[in-house]
Amino acid sequence: MPENRIYHSIKIDVQHCIGCVACMKACPTKAIRVRKRRAIINYDRCIDCGECLRVCPCNAVVSLTTSAADLSRFKYKVALPSPVLYSQFGQNTMPNTVLAALEETGFDRVYDEAVICEMTSLAIEEYLVNRKGAGPTISTTCPVVVRLIQRLFPDLCSLIVPIEPPREIAAKNLRAEISKKLDIPDNEIGIIHITSCPAKMVSINQPESMSKSYLNGAVSIRDIFNQIMMKIKKPSLHGIMDPQWSSSSIGINWAITGGETNCLKTSNTIAVSGVYDTIRILGDVESGRLKKINYLECMICPDGCVGGPLAVENRFIAKSNIIRLIRHLGNRRVVDAGYVRKLYKDGFFSFEHAVAPRPFTPLDNNRDMAIKKFKMKEQIMKKLPGINCGVCGAPDCETLAEDIAREAARLEECIFLAAT
Amino acid sequence: MRPAVRPRFGFGFDKGMNEGETIFHEEFTVRGGDFANAGDASCRIRRILKDIGVDADIIRRVAIASYEAEMNVVMYAKSGIMMLDVTSVQILIKVEDQGQGIENIELAMQPGFSTATPEMREMGFGAGMGLPNIKKNSDVFDIKSELGSGTRLKIIIHLNGKHA
Repeated sequence: MPENRIYHSIKIDVQHCIGCVACMKACPTKAIRVRKRRAIINYDRCIDCGECLRVCPCNAVVSLTTSAADLSRFKYKVALPSPVLYSQFGQNTMPNTVLAALEETGFDRVYDEAVICEMTSLAIEEYLVNRKGAGPTISTTCPVVVRLIQRLFPDLCSLIVPIEPPREIAAKNLRAEISKKLDIPDNEIGIIHITSCPAKMVSINQPESMSKSYLNGAVSIRDIFNQIMMKIKKPSLHGIMDPQWSSSSIGINWAITGGETNCLKTSNTIAVSGVYDTIRILGDVESGRLKKINYLECMICPDGCVGGPLAVENRFIAKSNIIRLIRHLGNRRVVDAGYVRKLYKDGFFSFEHAVAPRPFTPLDNNRDMAIKKFKMKEQIMKKLPGINCGVCGAPDCETLAEDIAREAARLEECIFLAAT
Repeated sequence: MRPAVRPRFGFGFDKGMNEGETIFHEEFTVRGGDFANAGDASCRIRRILKDIGVDADIIRRVAIASYEAEMNVVMYAKSGIMMLDVTSVQILIKVEDQGQGIENIELAMQPGFSTATPEMREMGFGAGMGLPNIKKNSDVFDIKSELGSGTRLKIIIHLNGKHA
């Protein structure tokens, strides 16, 4: 059983918050309230999706990522950038240039995740071929989707594909290789994900399918962008471009929505991006509507990881850059399928344990009381004006009604009722 | 939420309803042919169960049974009423529709049997698994039908016990 406390990577910086309700309105799980002109996150309902971060006009929503100071404790530092990084430096900056510049910012080694993305696609294919049940399975790549399923759709936990995402597979591989080849103790190796995602810290600090993550941290693209940019400008760097260097264009697909499904042979797939559409499609899965689908790729960020709030380039340009890069590289595959099949059989890609449901706290732990409170909530809703103004500090009338039923708010907080 | 409408005819499904203490009752009108809003009632049912803390595997069973039952009304009837009663120990769903009725229930219960049109099948419905699926996911399943007037369905799912 998972421990009750859930790690979160998003918090409100009260110094900057003006209580404008933008985040409260945007939150898909109704986790934010505004009290005394400050936003407060109810962590019991937060899934770390980053919608609040995206809409905040004052930069008052911050995400906890790994800082340069955190990195210094590792003797041997490896950067494992998401393929999103390749989309951040304009049209003509090739992955090898980006990787070389990234290494120069202070890493002992950089590793191209795209190759592992391609491997993971093959492993997923192997899983789908050998799977006995019917109906959709759901991708594990987006840590927020995993959290969303655990909390909002706990009955769908069994549909999560039990294969670790590429970042973990890559780190697992690297960790073994480095400690063997270079004889460096495990705790001195720091494998750092470079990401546009505020939730990677969640899956690193509290992995849901293994006891300990193979990654040591996640650095935001925003934080490291400028340093990489400076190194890219150095003309000498272009001299070290390795003509033999080859990235997997199949793997680079993973940076954008539909990329993961694009890598699979089966076409009975659906790719969805954006938190609201993800919630909608998971509702359809719950109804049993997607029986004919084998694989469902959900990405919380619009357009996939390129739309992550910690990216620098706007997501449309970034997506265009990724598509351009894939075309440029052709449909290049660099991984030996037979080797992956062997690794798959050895369980190299597999979860240590299944993802367990972590449903939201019910209205009451006593079922009878919970039903009573649900009825109460319905009655309160009838009294409220239903215009969802948010002045009470709850995102909409239904949520205020629920808060009142939970004894976390009072009816008088509605200004319409107070005025009459 | 759609306006609740009282059913025009009763079917005597009241026995076995008073299990558990607090009863939450809600009714939904389901319009035949309204594919755009199909699934709203079962979505609402799932929401209620999650709010009152029902176990995940039970929600899954209710989700499938209630959605299939709702879709049967949308696909085959002119209109129908879906009634939900939740107590602390069970969930009771009754569906009463005014439609063509089922000629041979035994046949309709056969997996794969369907009278769906090609259009419905194209949309992914009408695989002939609706009623068998509902039955599979229910603890109590009762169906009565009168040709030309309508079908009545009663589903009970226990909230605590294990499903056979």
